[in-house]
Amino acid sequence: MNAFLPLFRTNYRDFVRDRTALFWTIAFPVLFIGIFGIVLGRGDDGASYEVGFVVEDQSPQAATLNEVLGGFEALVLTRGDRETEIAKLADGERRAVVVVPQGFGSSISRDAPLPLQVHFDPSQQTTQQVVIPVLLRAFEVADRALTQTRPVVTAEFETLQSERLQVIDFIMPGLIAMSVMNGGVFGAIAMVSLRERRVLRRLSATPLPAWALVGADVTFRMVVVLLQTILLVMLAVLIGGVSVKVENLPALAGVAVLGGLAFVAIGFFLGAFAKTEQGFFPIAQVVTFPMLFLSGIFFPLDTMPDWIRPLVSAMPLTYLGDAMRQLMVGGAPVHSMALNLGVLTAFLVVFFSLAVRLFKYE
Amino acid sequence: MSTPVIQVRDLRKAYGDLQAVAGVSFEVAEGEVFGMLGPNGAGKTTTVEILEGLRIRDSGEVGVLGMDPATSGREFKRLVGVQLQQVALYPRLRVHEVISLFGSFYEQQAETEELIALMGLEDRRNARIAELSGGQAQRLSVALAVVNMPRLVFLDEPSTGMDPQARRNLWDIIEGFKAKGMTVVLTTHYMEEAERLCDRVAVMDHGRIIALDSPSALVRENFAEDAIEFVSNDGLSANDLGELAAVTSAASQGSAHSIFSSDIPRTMGSLLDLAQERGAPLEGMRVRHATLEDVFLKLTGRTLRD
Repeated sequence: MNAFLPLFRTNYRDFVRDRTALFWTIAFPVLFIGIFGIVLGRGDDGASYEVGFVVEDQSPQAATLNEVLGGFEALVLTRGDRETEIAKLADGERRAVVVVPQGFGSSISRDAPLPLQVHFDPSQQTTQQVVIPVLLRAFEVADRALTQTRPVVTAEFETLQSERLQVIDFIMPGLIAMSVMNGGVFGAIAMVSLRERRVLRRLSATPLPAWALVGADVTFRMVVVLLQTILLVMLAVLIGGVSVKVENLPALAGVAVLGGLAFVAIGFFLGAFAKTEQGFFPIAQVVTFPMLFLSGIFFPLDTMPDWIRPLVSAMPLTYLGDAMRQLMVGGAPVHSMALNLGVLTAFLVVFFSLAVRLFKYE
Repeated sequence: MSTPVIQVRDLRKAYGDLQAVAGVSFEVAEGEVFGMLGPNGAGKTTTVEILEGLRIRDSGEVGVLGMDPATSGREFKRLVGVQLQQVALYPRLRVHEVISLFGSFYEQQAETEELIALMGLEDRRNARIAELSGGQAQRLSVALAVVNMPRLVFLDEPSTGMDPQARRNLWDIIEGFKAKGMTVVLTTHYMEEAERLCDRVAVMDHGRIIALDSPSALVRENFAEDAIEFVSNDGLSANDLGELAAVTSAASQGSAHSIFSSDIPRTMGSLLDLAQERGAPLEGMRVRHATLEDVFLKLTGRTLRD
């Protein structure tokens, strides 16, 4: 008698056999993220990485180090003073800054070698995976050039969180929030279609309880939203080179589901005003399209004129985008996380009760 | 006789100004095939959907299987089988998938493969709903109506969209339901279907039952006569025909005429004389027994498919 699983399976079959739905929920966001990733991504084409090289020591050993590091093609050395180079690292213009401290040469002669200082942003994956290993390799080579007997070049790592996110870091969480919105709102089309085809009416002639029907549908949509989010986060990392805060991923998934539920509720609500599947599209478009441009997905909110702020504050995508950006890449908060989650929950509760009130079998 | 499966007393239902059901009363006995015959808009579907618990009546008393369908909810829906008009099931699901899905809504469910075989859908078992012909989709929707092995099944115009062969197959299936002791309520606007299947028929028009009896009794009560039918393009009016010898009634639809006679040879003689005198052609002339269609035309002045 448990109809939940058969209904869930029905939703799954209906979805995977529907090429249009597959395109809009999977292929379209993937294309979107892929294109943005390629155009705005950090161009990890294996070429070279800018590394700041700060020499505060005038010894011959420091000169050797300079020579060896300069010989590595993967590293583009920019020489400058410590302050400027670290500021550039913070701005994202340097992958790392290597400082040869004063007294480095004499410390080797004294047999108590001073470590080099390497500053880098650990949240950037290519730095972690490519630049640091290249530097370590360069240090080994330098070691052999300086002395044959014992290691003298050691490094001390200083981490620095670069404050300014790059465009790609800004846009990717927004795009994922956008696909959660579309997955939720447009997911409601399945119910509109069932009503249009009079299947809802037929189901109302069976003992199937309404909660099982709605529950199976919403659960299925949330599974889609989750899989979509996981896929898109992976693409953002792989193609866009976005450095994701791995420790926040479970929270990100939770926010995706909360946002998905809020948007499904909005979709159900809008569905009450559409008689047919065809009629649902324009209604859903009118609601989702302005949000794409006004809720800080593509353009930061602080670039928007003041008069438009009240509208922006009324849009659920504003809060979902902000929450996802904070969690995914550590973006600067526009609202507190509590406010974001609170507003999304409020949208969910309000629109779900409206949808229940307006629900018709035909 | 045991308690009727369905009891309806003075049932009424209006949609705005339109009185869809205007005071209907009838009973259906256990094991009976009960037909509701009438043109579109006669109130058949509204009546049946009230009995199914899908619509709420304005007034009147309704008892189905000893329950009030309006208030008994899921308890009631477990026990009845329902086929609705114009349901387009999940287009991307396969036949067997839809049957198992509907089966999962009930504690007592028929074997999916047996139902497929019963409906003659074996070679369409794996077809998607969108690929079914109108007749196949209709048979599937009848299959879903009996997926819970109900005592009482409502079929709303089940043969719509079927070719004559498919319709005959469906009639065999419905006779099979009756043989198993199911009670069947059937709406139709095919009088042949009602004549062949129904133990009793309620003829409906404008929200009322205008006649209720077995098909043969309905014909007998209304026509002690046989009918002469022919087509004549000009010169003969229903009035002229009504004057012919032994004619009890005459009806004309454009150039198609039917006259009912208590004495065929006498009427035929005077008809031929009249035609000769007027120079009117008589085409496609035949003599036949009266049918439910004639009953309907006589009672309402309209044909079933108007």
